[in-house]
Amino acid sequence: MHITVNGESKEFNQAEFSIADLLEEAEVDSPEMVSVQVNGSVIDRSHYADTTLKDDDEVDFLYFMGGGRR
Amino acid sequence: MTTAIKTRIDASRDCRGIGCPMNLVYTKVELSRLAPGQVLEVILDHGAPINNVPRSVIREAHEIIGQNRLDDGAWQLLIRKV
Amino acid sequence: MIEFNEEQLQRYSRHILLADVGVEGQEKLCRAKVLIVGAGGLGAPVALYLAAAGVGTIGIADADSVEISNLQRQISHFHHNIGDAKVDSAREKILAINPEIKVNTYYEYLRADNIREIIRDYDFVVEGTDNFPTKFLVNDACIMEGIPFSHGGILRFDGQAMTVVPGKSACYRCVFREPPPPDAVPSCSQAGVLGAIAGMLGTIQAAEALKFITGAGELLTDTLLSFDARNMDFRKTRLHCQENCPICGKNPGIHELIDYEHGGCGIKSSKSVAA
Ligand SMILES: [Zn+2]
Repeated sequence: MHITVNGESKEFNQAEFSIADLLEEAEVDSPEMVSVQVNGSVIDRSHYADTTLKDDDEVDFLYFMGGGRR
Repeated sequence: MTTAIKTRIDASRDCRGIGCPMNLVYTKVELSRLAPGQVLEVILDHGAPINNVPRSVIREAHEIIGQNRLDDGAWQLLIRKV
Repeated sequence: MIEFNEEQLQRYSRHILLADVGVEGQEKLCRAKVLIVGAGGLGAPVALYLAAAGVGTIGIADADSVEISNLQRQISHFHHNIGDAKVDSAREKILAINPEIKVNTYYEYLRADNIREIIRDYDFVVEGTDNFPTKFLVNDACIMEGIPFSHGGILRFDGQAMTVVPGKSACYRCVFREPPPPDAVPSCSQAGVLGAIAGMLGTIQAAEALKFITGAGELLTDTLLSFDARNMDFRKTRLHCQENCPICGKNPGIHELIDYEHGGCGIKSSKSVAA
């Protein structure tokens, strides 16, 4: 399956693939600190496990960025 | 050599002795006070001023309707505001 | 029309020369009112560049005082300002650059019960705080008041910015929905940030404010600009207004401003601490 992640083309062997799986595959350390957009729609955090990805989906990981504090 | 241009001049600015880029700043200030179609006369020194100012004015889509050498060697530039 | 005096023409000559700014754009800048939320790593360069640009009224909101650990990146604060209110330190530098600027300082916490009154006076808001409760508060208040703003965030070597024009472009909540759980946010002492990143991102935010005021160019609306300064990778992600956004969507669930709980780090409640 072909998925574009943050503009980079990636191939995955799995047939069924959820956002939760992709976050794990991409080794995102703290998924709570990332917002996920699939083909322009922001996915509700509670649906990461049950949202499956299709061939040629475009996924963006958008990181929460606050600041360095003091 | 001061060829009389048969056009009405709506505003005039003497930029003799004023180098780049302030001569263009003054030109733009004068143009900003005019209505579209009105004519501004600017007097510019020979050399860099008369080489540079018309180009910049054209780049902002105004029209150069005259460029005349004056007796003292300076240039009269006539600009119609876009 | 503003009649610029000779000194102003000299001071603003590089703006007036720009075809996309010109005399008219500089007049807009001199009449504009911009509020900077957070006088820290991001707010500091924003304040300096807006002052230099001649933005007529600059408001600064921050309830913090200058500490020596701020000086690595918060460039409007100098060694002699340690212990001063950040808003006063920033005002001192704004006026040192350009004495013609009117500076309003808000040495207070921005909260649900005061933010709308404060931002209402401004044409544009630059949000440069380090904490998510304030980021969401600024977003929601700006959406409610219809005031455009720039979001900025920095962490380690990374930065991100987006510009929100209420009613026209995706808002911060369209993308980030709600604050992350406080315990997931990298702790203050551990995360760190390369000082110059604050300048990179802050000047992007200042440029967005100047572009908004003058109408020059295209804003970072519906766009998240992010960069990683380790390799200087810049990326723009296209964003979209989300129909189910809780503040700007079709059936918004948020009708009143929310004071979210702040996370650890001993940050006092609802304090607008800057990055
Ligand atoms: Zn929204």
